[in-house]
Amino acid sequence: MYFEIDPRLEQDKKLSLLREETHRFAEGVIRPAARKLDQMSNPSDVIAPGSPYHDVLRQMKALGYHRLFIDPEYGGLGLSAVESHVVLEELGWGSVGLATAIGVDQLGAAIASLFAMGDVIDNFVKPWVEDTEAKYHGCWGVTEPECGSDYILACEESFLPYVKELHHGEVRADKDGDGWAINGPKSGWISSAPAATHVGLHVTLPPHDSLTTGAFCIVPLRQKGVTLGKPIDKLGLRDDPQGDIVFDNVHIPDEYMLIRPPFYELRVGQIICVTSCFMGAAFTGLARAAFEEALSYSKSRIQGGKPLCEHQLIKQQLYKMFEKVESSRYYTRKIMEHVWNRIYTERTYDASSRHAVSAQIYGKRSAFEVATEALQIFGGYGLTKDFLIEKLFRDARAGLVEDGTIEVLGLSSAYNIVKEYQEK
Amino acid sequence: MAVFPSKEWVGAVLVAAAKSDKYKEAAKDWEGDFLCIIEGDEEFLKDMSRKKVLEGFMSFLDMMPAKARKKFAGTPMGDIFEKKLGIPLDASVKDINVDKISGLVSKLSLGDLKGACTYFWADFWHGSVRAMEPVAPGEHSNAAFKLSGKYSAWKMMVSGKQDTIRLIMSNKLKLEGDMSYVMKNMKGVITLTKEVFASVPIE
Repeated sequence: MYFEIDPRLEQDKKLSLLREETHRFAEGVIRPAARKLDQMSNPSDVIAPGSPYHDVLRQMKALGYHRLFIDPEYGGLGLSAVESHVVLEELGWGSVGLATAIGVDQLGAAIASLFAMGDVIDNFVKPWVEDTEAKYHGCWGVTEPECGSDYILACEESFLPYVKELHHGEVRADKDGDGWAINGPKSGWISSAPAATHVGLHVTLPPHDSLTTGAFCIVPLRQKGVTLGKPIDKLGLRDDPQGDIVFDNVHIPDEYMLIRPPFYELRVGQIICVTSCFMGAAFTGLARAAFEEALSYSKSRIQGGKPLCEHQLIKQQLYKMFEKVESSRYYTRKIMEHVWNRIYTERTYDASSRHAVSAQIYGKRSAFEVATEALQIFGGYGLTKDFLIEKLFRDARAGLVEDGTIEVLGLSSAYNIVKEYQEK
Repeated sequence: MAVFPSKEWVGAVLVAAAKSDKYKEAAKDWEGDFLCIIEGDEEFLKDMSRKKVLEGFMSFLDMMPAKARKKFAGTPMGDIFEKKLGIPLDASVKDINVDKISGLVSKLSLGDLKGACTYFWADFWHGSVRAMEPVAPGEHSNAAFKLSGKYSAWKMMVSGKQDTIRLIMSNKLKLEGDMSYVMKNMKGVITLTKEVFASVPIE
């Protein structure tokens, strides 16, 4: 296990044990499963019965990782920010693809646990929390065929003229008796959708004039009117099955509409803060994995009569990678502490979105830069399927697009910087 | 334990707010008054059939001048007082036979309560509570914020059993006004509930 300069890892035995436990899960379960899933030539095999994907989900639920973001009052693990960061870095070290599946799985239940009451807690959150066999599996439905990363900007005030003109939302909810009817398509980029039983879904409400009349709801997917697409074939993060969802007059009870106007506009940014911290920590894990692969290889591979790591050029590359991994860890961890404090501890829901989004961008960019350097150290072998670095590189590259392209994420952060830099 | 709402509860809340440094700090930037609307429900009926609660509630209404109380005439709450319970709107709590009235309340149905509301106005200003008092229908209708909901939801909020945001987002309480201002000053709202309201145990 690597040495951490954060003194809490030495002082807090619970924290160091948590890191060791999660690392064991990442090394013994996630990584081997991810490699098998990554190499499946038919993406549909990833979610077929008997696939390692389901084994990981079962073990993840049995160990309680599906309760990371749930309100502790309703069965959440109640981990601190630093504990959450340590867990997510380890899961990302195992594989960002499966870590993403673990993250999106609980997003709907987490939001319900924070904001809902009554039937939603009893009939949705509690069974979700108590599930240790992966009977339930969640996904997060945001992007649409005509509106990808732009969805992130939907509630950014400076962006409203553009959003209002171009994006009216394709997945719409209209009153249907005492509940809501959902219609429309979500794009093929919905992580875990092909295997999911529920979705935490972004929709628009009447008059559907822009994404700002948005709402967030829970939709059970195993019902009439829902069509789940097949997993798409893609470059990286192949262990994270992504596919589209089409809704045709799908009914949900009124209380499943968890966040409505005017709260949607004010709250969706806070959801992005949590998911951005998740991605920042998980991609830091990928960066570390790539660095460790390169370091290990450089010690065993002999070139010019000595190990690669004895060559100055390689040493310089290793140093650059180390610096990026370390800075990514402590930058994303510090931001996660801020976000967790505002959302889970203080419950003021006023986390700084420019910081949270920058954690995601920084983590992803670090992962891609480190994976690129690492692959270079492997030389030709790095291009083969024989070495993990080839998968890590593809996963890191996919990360620059998935969950919002880093350009659009940066733009959303920039709007916030211009508007509120001196305010908080 | 105090009755919500009652003269005793209002007094205890004002004292708690004045004493709480946490509240003063958290709400130091807050400017804005609230018109609070408590709608009758099943729990209201159940509670008001208890003599202590009824007495407390009457003491709350008694804080209003008789002239203001008369403004309830013709409203669902006014009709309950005058027609169902036989209480003149300008009567003082001292004039009321609590034994008899609590018995009559226990015979009311949910249908009788339809549209029946009690109102209070609270003026929060830079970490202090400048006023908290019952008001008549139509008074302070231009308050910066309007918070309404069933009696049971109000009790969950003021007792601290449920956080304000969850109650608002799950439609148990309805908040009208500049929502982005509330969201930016959420710490003050949460501290008011946790440190001030919840410090006054209620029946």
